[in-house]
Amino acid sequence: MKRSFLLFFMILGLLAGLSHARDVYFNSHYTLWKDGDILIWNVDKSITIDPKEFCLSLKRNNTSIGDPKCRIFGEWERDSIALRYGNWLGYNLEPNTRAEYLKARHPAMIAKIQALEDKIVMYVSKVEGVVKVALFDETASTPKIAGTVAFNSDPIALYDDMANSFFDHPAKRRLTKKEREKMATEPDEYYKETPSFNGWIGVGLGYSQAKIPLTPDNWYRSHIDSKVRKYRITKDSTSLWNFIDDSDPFLSLYAGGTWYGFIGAEIIYRLAKHNVKTDSRDTSYDELDHWYFYQHEIGLSIHLSKTFPMNKWMDITPFVFLGFQYSFFVEDIDVKDDVKKPSAAYEKRVEFEEVYKGALIGFGSQFVFAKHYGVSLRTGISSRGRDTYSDPSPDAAAEPTTIGGSTIDCFISLGLEYHWIL
Amino acid sequence: MFKGVWTFVFWCIVACLLAGCGTHYQWTKSHPAYTIPPFKDFAVIGAEKAFVLNRSAWFAKKLNIPPEEIQKHITGDCAKWLVQDLQKLYPEIRALPASLLDASPEESQQLDSRIFIKGKIPEQGIVLKDSTGYMPTRILIIHEAILGTDLNREDFFDYALIHNESPEKKTSKNLTAIVSYTLWDNEKQRALFNSIDQIDRPITHLSMTDMEQLVQSIAESMRSHLVEGAGR
Repeated sequence: MKRSFLLFFMILGLLAGLSHARDVYFNSHYTLWKDGDILIWNVDKSITIDPKEFCLSLKRNNTSIGDPKCRIFGEWERDSIALRYGNWLGYNLEPNTRAEYLKARHPAMIAKIQALEDKIVMYVSKVEGVVKVALFDETASTPKIAGTVAFNSDPIALYDDMANSFFDHPAKRRLTKKEREKMATEPDEYYKETPSFNGWIGVGLGYSQAKIPLTPDNWYRSHIDSKVRKYRITKDSTSLWNFIDDSDPFLSLYAGGTWYGFIGAEIIYRLAKHNVKTDSRDTSYDELDHWYFYQHEIGLSIHLSKTFPMNKWMDITPFVFLGFQYSFFVEDIDVKDDVKKPSAAYEKRVEFEEVYKGALIGFGSQFVFAKHYGVSLRTGISSRGRDTYSDPSPDAAAEPTTIGGSTIDCFISLGLEYHWIL
Repeated sequence: MFKGVWTFVFWCIVACLLAGCGTHYQWTKSHPAYTIPPFKDFAVIGAEKAFVLNRSAWFAKKLNIPPEEIQKHITGDCAKWLVQDLQKLYPEIRALPASLLDASPEESQQLDSRIFIKGKIPEQGIVLKDSTGYMPTRILIIHEAILGTDLNREDFFDYALIHNESPEKKTSKNLTAIVSYTLWDNEKQRALFNSIDQIDRPITHLSMTDMEQLVQSIAESMRSHLVEGAGR
């Protein structure tokens, strides 16, 4: 009992310690530069900061920071305007304050902050057991991040805490002066007279099936398991998968393009061959040599994508697509050579609609190597339904339903592509 | 029967949209540290330079004062009355000379997306003291007090409207005072409360008493806003 109490208080103490150790008042996510300059602005000298040790703490706590240079910012410590602002900051850095309330107002002070050029100024001041910290860069006349850490008489522990609280995000490489000039003069791509166009053509192999992964089997079982009796009879004819095999490979040819690297369109042709699910025990098929359907599909989809350049030789472009398609099922049937006259059931066999219309939706990613050679992986769901809608008539119940009026499959495909940029 | 309900709902939506789309201004702004309205160690500054008289010829005629003297006469009197009225409301208030702020630059402070007040406020790190060394903790800085007839404060402080030309025909139904002021934290050099107040008084027969009562209303309006603004 006593021990559990002790443990409880230890945990409580630890939590209290964690919650009081640091308090970040606001954080507007400044840019931390790799190999940057950290200038320590110790206004009231209430604490001594060793620049060398502080730099080592930064390197220990943030591996991306590179090799920073830290020094005491004597220029500001000796300047009367900076001194006035620094003192003011000291008593205005209060919990729940916001950056806008800590704005430097004196024009000379604003000019000093604007002249920092990628250097980070770290204001430090010790007040009543806490060290107040505020960081400035040239982008704003307010601190970018401010807060406190608990004072620790061990300087290394204190510096580690400061580095951890205020310098913990990934550092970016600093641009050189030349790079900066080039960036500044580069035109904005969204203001170009002709938008940038990225086009591709591709050929793909894929596989489709009626069952959508992670959905229950009993949604599909009746369709997948059914067989065709006497050339036309099945339990249910809403799905084409009652008549023909659903899980088959397919070939696709496609061409598409995006503008501004964001929005575009793609046209797809897809070809697959499906066997009709005849029952081998059914003697009426004895005369049959083969019976299958070629599935031809033409689709047009809207393509939304975003390119992430990974390195010099590879870009990754995830995308989503949404479109419509027309499906044509072309029958290929023949009886055995020795059969003179096919049976009556053969002559009255099932007929599919001339065309089915459907939608397709999915996502994928293109991996483009050396700006031209792409590999694309995509997955999605496509549907096929009745092409035209006719008003229900009073004897609608008596009308035969459209065969395959709700035929859905999911697919996955891998394509090889050629890309070009205009 | 349902049709009537739907029509009513429709008009309610239209009314809400119209009300929501109309410009709505926020005329006061409080610092999060402003929790207690001022009472002790309190000073006022800037009254003697704040007053401006609009339509001075009209006022000169109505008040029987020579036109070349009206500006000086009215602004001087009003500044004196304002300090006296504030002293009635705040017995401990002291008046600091406006010259203390001469060295400070003129700055803008934002109250709303398009509303800014302009005025001199002390620099960061500089504490105001009078010649005797008295250092108040809070200072009421009066930036500008515009006196006129039928004025609207948005015409003076909404930067999208300040370049609009005034109408040809001026009306004189009300006596208007527009006053912009800041409650300054002298210890921590920050604006605790900013406000632009508009006071309207109907004109029956204009006399100096009306002006005196107008200034009294300014002081009362300031005090009520200072109380309302605390802790918001």
